[in-house]
Amino acid sequence: MSSEVGPLLRLHPAAMVIGALGTIRRSVSATILPGVVFLFSQGLSPWTIALVLAGLVVVAVLAALWGFLSWRATSYGVVGGSFRLRQGVFQKSERTIPLEHVQSVDTVQGIVQRAFGVYEVRVETAGGGASEPDASLPALSRAATEDLRRGIEGARREPVGAEEAPGPEVLRRLSTRDLLVAGATSGQIGVALSLLAVGSQVFDEFFSEAFFRNLVDSLAPNALIVALILIPTVALFAWLLAIAGTVLAHYGFTLSREGDFLYIKRGLLERREATIPLSRIQAVRVSEGFLRQPFGLASLRVESAGYGEDAGVSAAMVPLLPFDEVQALLREAAPEFAVSPTLKPLPRRALGRYVFRACVPALVLAAAGALVSFLVFDVAFGLLAVGLLPAFALYGWLRFRDAGWALEGDRLVVRSRALARVTAVAPRRRLQSRSVFQSPFQRRLRLATFGTEVASGAGGSSLSVTDLGSDDARYLAGALSARFDAQRNLRGSLP
Amino acid sequence: MKDEPSERLDPRAKVVWRISAALNMIPLLAAGGFGSFALLRWADVSALLGILPALAVLALAVFSVFVAPGVRWRRWRYEIRPDEVDLQRGVWWVSRTLVPLARIQHVDTRQGPLQRRYGLSTVVFHTAAGANQIPELSTPIASEARDRIADLTREQDEL
Repeated sequence: MSSEVGPLLRLHPAAMVIGALGTIRRSVSATILPGVVFLFSQGLSPWTIALVLAGLVVVAVLAALWGFLSWRATSYGVVGGSFRLRQGVFQKSERTIPLEHVQSVDTVQGIVQRAFGVYEVRVETAGGGASEPDASLPALSRAATEDLRRGIEGARREPVGAEEAPGPEVLRRLSTRDLLVAGATSGQIGVALSLLAVGSQVFDEFFSEAFFRNLVDSLAPNALIVALILIPTVALFAWLLAIAGTVLAHYGFTLSREGDFLYIKRGLLERREATIPLSRIQAVRVSEGFLRQPFGLASLRVESAGYGEDAGVSAAMVPLLPFDEVQALLREAAPEFAVSPTLKPLPRRALGRYVFRACVPALVLAAAGALVSFLVFDVAFGLLAVGLLPAFALYGWLRFRDAGWALEGDRLVVRSRALARVTAVAPRRRLQSRSVFQSPFQRRLRLATFGTEVASGAGGSSLSVTDLGSDDARYLAGALSARFDAQRNLRGSLP
Repeated sequence: MKDEPSERLDPRAKVVWRISAALNMIPLLAAGGFGSFALLRWADVSALLGILPALAVLALAVFSVFVAPGVRWRRWRYEIRPDEVDLQRGVWWVSRTLVPLARIQHVDTRQGPLQRRYGLSTVVFHTAAGANQIPELSTPIASEARDRIADLTREQDEL
């Protein structure tokens, strides 16, 4: 299979099956709920069952035919310095992506693909957006995937030299035990809870309201006990769900580096392989989650330009590693981002603003609660929310203490806390714009907020420090300018 | 960082902002008026409490039509320097933004119907992290600014 010239290639025949299954799944999922309701309302006569089965057969046959036709219509290849994808049964389309615009060749192996031993290959573009959509090939054999990768990345690596690359060097693996810890401390219980809520709604559809009313009536006298049992049970279940989700998504996590590319492999049911070109990394964020910081654990994320909707594949660089080992890993994986300077803290006069901002929610809660409880019970119970103030104030103090910034050579380092403590590193040449914000209150205290943007996915992502001294903010905005750069270079080039 | 960018927007900007603020306030005024009407007519509240929504919306309208455009215009400054575009703006929050020309990917001018009526245009320049704009320049100046940014961007690329 030559990658330079010659005709375009076909997908693996498994693409027919995968396409057909996709069509069937779409049409069935669109009709399943009304279909089931219809069936039950009509009663299950042999006649209706036969009708449904006949319908299914027709759908399956049409899907298989469509799968075959679209397989026949699809071809791809690397021709004359660009990747081409031709597809469409009725409406033909041909997409051409110049190789220098290709960001990475990622693979995803879903359950169906695994059954056939094939890979879904996604050709991701940089700075794409709507004008240059990514291309997805649903089924390629292992060999064809490697060929395509070599065809695309080989062309890009040409300047490095023609000799054989030393092969990827594994930088980090995560054991199942690591992943269990990662899941347990991920703080994604909220996500899992909302999933449970959706699940329970679906559940509602299948049980009659009377069933629930009986249940509630019989349980009502013991409402408190039921709540005491139910809430921890649901929370525990959500927590287990979060753990399971993390293990499924990251099972067998391996981060490796070959030349200027990082490779990430992960996934239990769905195997994913993502590529991050070092040259596209705009910023690195080290996040110490609320539940992870006490154990000295952190996770690593990268902001990468031109990664569109599928950011999840690449954005999480390492889901869990000890904070102490972050710098060592970065030195090997992305040396440009391996800095941990002493951060300059915020001036003391900013503490009041941090505490005030943290307390606002408690105050609003107290005021609203007081009003409502006064109207309802004639007693301002809501004022009890004032009792929460110390906790919120403590949170404000934590945010103040953890905020800081540093300029280390060409790199801006910024730390802040929402719940997790996040340290972000970005080189000067990646900063797209720099801003200094100041409100009248900040002006009175000689404080300002500094913010800068790096490219991330289709848009931007910001690094900011709130309430640093206004002189420092102006200094940062000036020191990160291109002119500053030019002056330094000039000095550097002098003997 | 220099003290303040040197250039101002076209003075007609204030008129355009006033008109568009007034247009934007119409639905809000209607809502406030209806709120007061509903409170006084159907809910049993004192007259003082009842007119509160209408008053609040009216105050907001007066502020955003008569006060804010003037302040905003006085604050809005820009400067296109050989290496960076410098913007200062904000009524309450004052922000100062520096965009290196080397990061600008493309630049265009835009004109809404109201702007066309007053001969104004907006210069929009895009970086990989999003767009920034210099609004309400008189159309010839806007075109000049657009071409200047485009030229400077090209020069920066060649460096």
